[in-house]
Amino acid sequence: MSVRIDGDPGGAGSTTRIRLFDLARPSRQHILGYILLAPAVLMVILIIAYPLFISFDLSLQDVKLPRIGETRKPFTFKNYQKLFNSSEFWMTCWVTVKLVSAVTAGSVIIGVSTALLVNHRFRGRTVARIAMALPWAVPEVIAVVIFAWIFDSSFGLMSWLFIKLGLTDQMIAWVSTPGPAFWALTVTMVWKGFPFVSIMTLAGLQSIPPDYYAAARVDGANALQRFRWITIPCLMPVLGVTLVLVMLWVFRDFSIIKVLTEGGPLKTTQTLSIMTYDQAFGFFKFGYASAVGIVTLVICVLASLAMIGRQSRAMY
Amino acid sequence: MKTLMMKTTAAALAAGLLASAALTSANAETLKFISWQVDEAGMGDWWRSAIAKFEAEHPGVTIEFTKVDRANYADTMTTLFAGGQPPHIVHLASFEYQNFAENGWMENLDPWLENDGIDMTGWAGQGTCVWNGETACIMLLYFGFMMAYNPDILAEAGVGVPTNFEEFLAAARATTKDLNGDGITDQFGTGHETKGGAGQYLTEMLNYVLDAGAYWTDKDGNVTIDTPEMVEGLTRWKTVYNEGLTPRDMSAGEIRKLFADGKVALRLDGPWLYNTMKQGAAADILKVTVPATSPPVGGSSNVIGMATDISDDQKQLVWDFIKITMSPEFQRAYATVGGNTPPSPTADVSGVEEQVPHFQIIVDTQKAAAAAGVDRIPTGLEVQYGEFGKMVQEEVQRMLIENLDPADVVKVIQARAEEIQGG
Repeated sequence: MSVRIDGDPGGAGSTTRIRLFDLARPSRQHILGYILLAPAVLMVILIIAYPLFISFDLSLQDVKLPRIGETRKPFTFKNYQKLFNSSEFWMTCWVTVKLVSAVTAGSVIIGVSTALLVNHRFRGRTVARIAMALPWAVPEVIAVVIFAWIFDSSFGLMSWLFIKLGLTDQMIAWVSTPGPAFWALTVTMVWKGFPFVSIMTLAGLQSIPPDYYAAARVDGANALQRFRWITIPCLMPVLGVTLVLVMLWVFRDFSIIKVLTEGGPLKTTQTLSIMTYDQAFGFFKFGYASAVGIVTLVICVLASLAMIGRQSRAMY
Repeated sequence: MKTLMMKTTAAALAAGLLASAALTSANAETLKFISWQVDEAGMGDWWRSAIAKFEAEHPGVTIEFTKVDRANYADTMTTLFAGGQPPHIVHLASFEYQNFAENGWMENLDPWLENDGIDMTGWAGQGTCVWNGETACIMLLYFGFMMAYNPDILAEAGVGVPTNFEEFLAAARATTKDLNGDGITDQFGTGHETKGGAGQYLTEMLNYVLDAGAYWTDKDGNVTIDTPEMVEGLTRWKTVYNEGLTPRDMSAGEIRKLFADGKVALRLDGPWLYNTMKQGAAADILKVTVPATSPPVGGSSNVIGMATDISDDQKQLVWDFIKITMSPEFQRAYATVGGNTPPSPTADVSGVEEQVPHFQIIVDTQKAAAAAGVDRIPTGLEVQYGEFGKMVQEEVQRMLIENLDPADVVKVIQARAEEIQGG
């Protein structure tokens, strides 16, 4: 296909043919980029944007059980009004924040520590690295079943250990007492999540040029100073992204909480993802559940933007 | 000429193949059937035998029998229906079908029953399947609880088989023991699920609630929780839990296994317990009798129906399958193979005792539960049962954790139940 352009200044009145689809021209290369990206973009629209739109649309309807192709119910903000006036929602937000903070902090502390440990040369380092990564390889549901037995209130290993250590004289109802349930959940999630931080941190540690440490040593910096002024700043870009990914994982995680505590007791381990599930599939309130889901998405996006913006500038 | 011959032969062959394919696809039909009972001992076999009979009677038609775990069942079925891809044969728990029927997703079976002249009078639990005046499903199981016990544990503790709640409590107290002196109880008087879904939690509690003369609603659907009888029922539940007479935070499946292995003295449960009992370490000594609580917990369990969004031909096939499950042959097999009480009033259950020794007991408790009008699903809260169950479970857990007075708790539950009922 071509177009004829009259009055071309370079052609002194002549007619110039410009090939619109001449993708080799430097000025047309962005079009080639768009064409190459198109399948991926279409796929994303199909599997992410469309369901998101449906979910957003459902959140603006008073609908219990929806069905594709059914006539849309009248537009309403009822679900959002109910949500923001619900004490359950605010309690769930608080539980989510607590869990995200505790699990992220625990995963980062243990993950960075183990990465620093296995970054050193010592006998058995390979075995230690494999052991460190092992929890990551265990499927989530299997890991939770193992921890469910460890924290079993009648025959569990953890209560037995506490009794033997003299910390208590009776079995602890780990998953049916609010405080212990939260910590049992946190321990399980940290165990599952810290290897990811370790692996990312280890990769970051190995990319720090040894020259930095050599120069610091020449300047008389001790180990703590080298860690504070070289290791930490150089790791920050990696840690920033890792932190966001761990945070999002805890935000979204469903299976660990569902299998271990089901969000109980008394909703003390109910996060936004569990609340969404219960409202949709437990109580068949899809409009309300969609509103919870949309609010969760907004919180996740805002938190991610804040974290990425802050951490990516932290190196220098 | 040779080329022409070859071309003609090829064209004829292609046409033949196409015609054959078209004919096959016209005759071949696959009905989707999803159930959580595929691998269940007894019930899985019963379903498979019904499928085999159906396929033998309908050449070219197959039933795709797929398992979905009970824990994920409601989610899966909701997603399939919402996406416009429901299974042809619909198998649901009797407390969850109402939401599907309310949305018009379940075929009205009245015309089908009428066409075949099937009289459902006396069919146990069938009333639960009537929704908005239409028959939305066929009841597969209406059960009565039985009480299984470990005679060795009772004898060792010097107590007899309990016949009322007071004796039951005394026996549970006498048999709950730390056998090896390590400070951990390893033999329990009874066992209840206190972890997991609200439905099972409420069913476990119902043993004590019904015995105390209470229930969630009356026959007109009015909430009847704030009563002295309910206070007594909750007090009993609190006693059993707080005194550690039951293992804590275990699912019903885990409790059944513990009982089957001889770690629990008494277990109030449905007929399905027997299949687990047979596989446990204490299988040879365990016995079954009528429950110490009265009336026995009972009620509708699961239902079968058909989706509205399928073709008329498929509806006919699904109805043929449903009729097979309702036939005298399969109603008898429901007892002999499934080990359950068949809902059909005319089912021939003679000689079933040879395979299920306590069969007469579960028939009697089924009748006792039906006579007392017992069902797990409270009238007037059918559609909101999920939300209601969760609320009751939470308030009862709060009572246990914060040691609240049951008299105060029933007031809270009453108010919240009315709120849920009012939408």
